[in-house]
Amino acid sequence: MPKIGVYVCHCGENIAGAVNIEEVMNYAKTLPDVVLVKNYLFMCSDPGQDIIKQDIKEGKVDRVVVAACTPRTHEPIFRDALESAGLNRYFLEMANIRDQDSWAHWHDKSGATEKAKRLIRSAVAKVTFAEPLEDRYGDMEKSVMVIGGGVAGMFAALDLANMGLKVYLVERQPSIGGMMIKLDKTFPTMDCSACILTPKMVEVAQHPNIELINYAEVDAVKGYVGNFEITVKKKARYIDWDKCTGCGVCTQICPARVPNEYNYNMDQRRAAYIEFPQAVPKKAVIDRPNCLYFKSMEKTGKPACQICEKGIPPKGIQGCPADAIKFDDKDEYINLKVGSVIITTGYKVMDKSHFKEYSPHSKDVVTAMEFERILSATGPTEGELKRPSDGTKPKTIAMISCVGSRDERYHSYCSKVCCMYMLKHARILKEKYPDIKLYLFFIDVRTAGKDFEEFYVYTRELGVKVIRGGRVSSVDVKPNGKLRVRGFDVDLCSPVELEADMVVLATAIEPATGTEELGRLFAATCGREGFLREVHTKLYPVETASKGVFLAGCVQGPKDIPESIAQSRAAASAAAALVIPGKIKFEAIIAEVDREKCSSCGVCVPLCPYGAIKLQEYKGKEKAYIEPALCAGCGVCASACPSMAITFHGFTTEQILAQIDALAEA
Amino acid sequence: MEEGGVNVIDLTQADESFVKELEALGADELRECIQCGKCGATCPMALAGLEFFIKRIVHAANLGLRDILLEDSSVWGCQSCNRCVEICPMDIKPYEVIQAIRRAAMKVESCPANTYEGLRNLYRFGHAVYPKGYEERRKKVGLPDKPPTVISNDEMRKKFQEILRNTILEEIAPFPLD
Amino acid sequence: MKKIGFFLGCNIPFNRPDIEYSARYLLNELGYEIVELEGASCCPAFGTMPSLDLVGWAAASAWNLTIAEEKGVDIITGCGSCYGSLNEARYHMEKHPEIKEQVNKILAKVDKEYKGTTKVWNFINFLYEDVGLDTLKAKIKNNLNGIKCAVQTGCHNLWPSRAYPTNEDNTFFPTRLREICESIGGVAPHYSTITDCCGMGALRSTASEKSLALFKKKLDVIKQEIDPDIAVTGCSSCLLQFDAGQALLIEQKKLDYKIPALHIAQLAAIAMGADPEKATAMASIPLNGVITKIKGGN
Ligand SMILES: Cc1cc2nc3c(=O)[nH]c(=O)nc-3n(C[C@H](O)[C@H](O)[C@H](O)COP(=O)(O)OP(=O)(O)OC[C@H]3O[C@@H](n4cnc5c(N)ncnc54)[C@H](O)[C@@H]3O)c2cc1C
Ligand code: SF4
Ligand code: SF4
Ligand code: SF4
Ligand code: SF4
Repeated sequence: MPKIGVYVCHCGENIAGAVNIEEVMNYAKTLPDVVLVKNYLFMCSDPGQDIIKQDIKEGKVDRVVVAACTPRTHEPIFRDALESAGLNRYFLEMANIRDQDSWAHWHDKSGATEKAKRLIRSAVAKVTFAEPLEDRYGDMEKSVMVIGGGVAGMFAALDLANMGLKVYLVERQPSIGGMMIKLDKTFPTMDCSACILTPKMVEVAQHPNIELINYAEVDAVKGYVGNFEITVKKKARYIDWDKCTGCGVCTQICPARVPNEYNYNMDQRRAAYIEFPQAVPKKAVIDRPNCLYFKSMEKTGKPACQICEKGIPPKGIQGCPADAIKFDDKDEYINLKVGSVIITTGYKVMDKSHFKEYSPHSKDVVTAMEFERILSATGPTEGELKRPSDGTKPKTIAMISCVGSRDERYHSYCSKVCCMYMLKHARILKEKYPDIKLYLFFIDVRTAGKDFEEFYVYTRELGVKVIRGGRVSSVDVKPNGKLRVRGFDVDLCSPVELEADMVVLATAIEPATGTEELGRLFAATCGREGFLREVHTKLYPVETASKGVFLAGCVQGPKDIPESIAQSRAAASAAAALVIPGKIKFEAIIAEVDREKCSSCGVCVPLCPYGAIKLQEYKGKEKAYIEPALCAGCGVCASACPSMAITFHGFTTEQILAQIDALAEA
Repeated sequence: MEEGGVNVIDLTQADESFVKELEALGADELRECIQCGKCGATCPMALAGLEFFIKRIVHAANLGLRDILLEDSSVWGCQSCNRCVEICPMDIKPYEVIQAIRRAAMKVESCPANTYEGLRNLYRFGHAVYPKGYEERRKKVGLPDKPPTVISNDEMRKKFQEILRNTILEEIAPFPLD
Repeated sequence: MKKIGFFLGCNIPFNRPDIEYSARYLLNELGYEIVELEGASCCPAFGTMPSLDLVGWAAASAWNLTIAEEKGVDIITGCGSCYGSLNEARYHMEKHPEIKEQVNKILAKVDKEYKGTTKVWNFINFLYEDVGLDTLKAKIKNNLNGIKCAVQTGCHNLWPSRAYPTNEDNTFFPTRLREICESIGGVAPHYSTITDCCGMGALRSTASEKSLALFKKKLDVIKQEIDPDIAVTGCSSCLLQFDAGQALLIEQKKLDYKIPALHIAQLAAIAMGADPEKATAMASIPLNGVITKIKGGN
């Protein structure tokens, strides 16, 4: 006969405020096999736990029910308490009389008390049939893959590498650097983005523990935490990177001109190109769809151009001096084993075409990211402020916030960084061109952050005009090419309008292309808006739904550089804490197949969301086998098995039925 | 404005049930307005200088300022242009708020007199706009005196009236429906 | 011959029958057989049933739509409010089957049923899509001879776009009416307040002076930016403002220039050879100059 102890927690007033503790305790005493019932203000506190430990040590109880809050956060604590008192940690059951009871029925005290009784009755019924279970350990691969080489990915990689771990940094583009390298100056400190990031990019490339895999994407994932087997596809570069010295000859002689996506198509690059001047690694690639060699080979079977390789001899122009051009290059697939993964694939910005009320057909209406490139010394105008339509210097610029953000038709969230970068743009311009007229249209000015409000006030002092409550209604092109901007000024309590030479739209930050697909490869889920989701906003902010897979930076949601770096270093530390011990603990709450009972029907195999089940030969027949390390303890298979061959430890059929009976009892 | 100062609006005197009433009358997304101001600068009511225009109206409605809104005639100046519906980032369909307020006002007969004229014409003649002397104008361009609408077809006109009698007009119309 | 149901509304048959005359001439000339929608009523106008109740509005609109349904034709209307009211009612019934159900209960009392099979056109989209600019061009009798047109598409012809079966690529940068004017020989530049409201409608009845002041601002921009020979509207209400409203401004000495105005059905009818006398019979701002120019272009 088990000896069950029931411990009722007040959770301060959280439970006691709605549940009559004494009544519940008296009731619990009447339940079968319950030998003692106690209560305490905070069961999870040290003295609270001590009460339980004492009773176990004195041999009074050998099964424990804690009627308190959620097992999601508190079960591990009480399990540890049981274990330290010498009892198997799985002889514990929690009755959640707070989240599921007192909080939900705060205004119905007698109802809440009745419900607490039932919940406790059900927990007691379940713990009666508890079996002792053991946690198990597996080996851990001591390496980490970081996917996405923006500022978040780079810092995570550096921290891990400095701890002595092997790091694979996979980046989709030819160069690392991400969005930050495209920025001109950065708020709040106004450092030049390239100046502070380039040294870090070089450090990443030169670190002996970091293997940089550029122009590559994750293709397939097998395995599980501790032992991920990842196939990475390295896209054909058509240039041998072992030979390429980054001299840039090919990028100047190639005759095929293409819009330059790095500068948002505001200028052109060649088919043979280096992504941008400070690229790391500084290597060229050939963009196959636009290369004349490939185009002509596909059409006629004869090469129309090989200039990058051979030069133009009659004109005395030489081709690649390093003999690096490699038209027969192929995509390459490599397999890597890592213990953990950090996803830092960042964001993209919306383009202007969606916003028809803002005259997107005008060249002088640009997105803020395009504007960053216009301001940047490496941008299409080499940092000179010019109107895209005619190259003249704008005298009046209007900037519009929340374009596509806080907008039910696109993204209901706030993109968080736009208010600040609009002020930053204003400040850069005003410091350089004091006479320029700037009108910033905000819905609200959101400057929550260290030194941000000071930044705002300083920008206002520079003479920048701020219009609030003023989501712009329309931008119209006048026959003289100027733009009429119309908005509402809540402070003037009036509609306002102005004539601008340029309009800058702070378009929304959205998840990078392919975020959801990448997440799916790792069984990491995305939220409604398509950003990767953390397990718990407060308690587990860098872990994904998939064990051993972490996230950081804008892939989780819009944020600025300081936050991206803070989160990336947190993710690095979480990944290191997992990988460094070299062992991985697997919870005992998993499913197991009784192969004698298994009828080989195989229904469970496709049902498992974690791919943990496969058919394996057993006594000459294919029987289901569940890989313990992969099983996440969801229980789907156990409920589906028609032969009742799957035991779900911790939630056996016997336990569940006893619980249901107890709940259904009048 | 009262003499000697502004007319301070006492927010605690507002009528919360007004919001619910408007929601039931078709403005079901009213509360989602974040007062971004986007509808405020191209709404013809705002540009024409009416005391209340869409942004202000939505805000006042959300505060429950029933009396202020029903006493003011601004909502009747809405052009039904739907520009606000087209651009509202919260997609609350602001014009539906105007309609809801008009519907609430109609129920308590708090609307400009000319509103009734249109309704009366609609019921009597089947045409809300029914100006005198049109026969002359039509003759001038060689068209028959009466257009081939309900106005020249008594049987159809009666049927149309029957339809209207089966709508809320029956309850609300401050003129006899016979 | 293709058939089309001509929905008259109120303003066109009673105030501006010259538009009705022109529309009939134009449609015939373009090879359409006009089907009369006998017994059709007011659309209903936004200040009436729509301001009372959604079902009441939909029922009144459905009455009109069923007349066309029974004859198996689509509808064309020259009035923006009619275009808006009928299409929005259609949209609400399509989106909310329960409204359609309630409407059909009411219609059943007069042995009618609304099915939702009729499409409602305005002149702009009809000329642009059903007729086509090439056909239009091919049928010209009087080339517009380069007269400069300031076009006014009209709010109801653009928004709410969710309710309309067809529309401009960018409703804030409409080009269809411009293209139509150009296809019959005019010049129709863009101007920056092209989508601004003319002020006609509820605003005009509620706050007449403010409505006219709003309209004057728009006229001033038109005059300053493109200085046209004529204003061309896609909506009969806009035309009332552009013509009679403008005459009022002139009378009140608030305007020191004149821009004659026509509905696109009138202008296109004249281009197709309609008698200009009749086609512009009700105009308050004289059109002599424009007509002479068009005639001279032959
Ligand atoms: C206009 C503008 C101005 C800004 N100004 C400032 C400022 O002044 N100060 C500030 O603090 N913040 C600023 N920000 C925010 C800042 O850009 C971000 O906080 C920061 O870049 C986030 O870094 P990240 O590494 O998370 O993402 P990213 O910079 O987007 O890096 C992600 C990387 O992952 C790669 N990648 C994407 N998908 C894959 C894939 N499937 N496989 C492999 N690699 C992939 C990308 O190529 C990229 O290199 C600004 C943002 C905008 C839009
Ligand atoms: S010319 Fe050769 S070495 Fe120079 S950047 Fe191009 S591929 Fe590299
Ligand atoms: S083959 Fe010609 S087009 Fe292709 S990358 Fe080389 S130079 Fe450019
Ligand atoms: S546009 Fe929409 S959200 Fe913005 S103020 Fe108007 S009604 Fe509110
Ligand atoms: S529909 Fe009414 S409220 Fe909306 S923009 Fe037009 S006039 Fe203003």
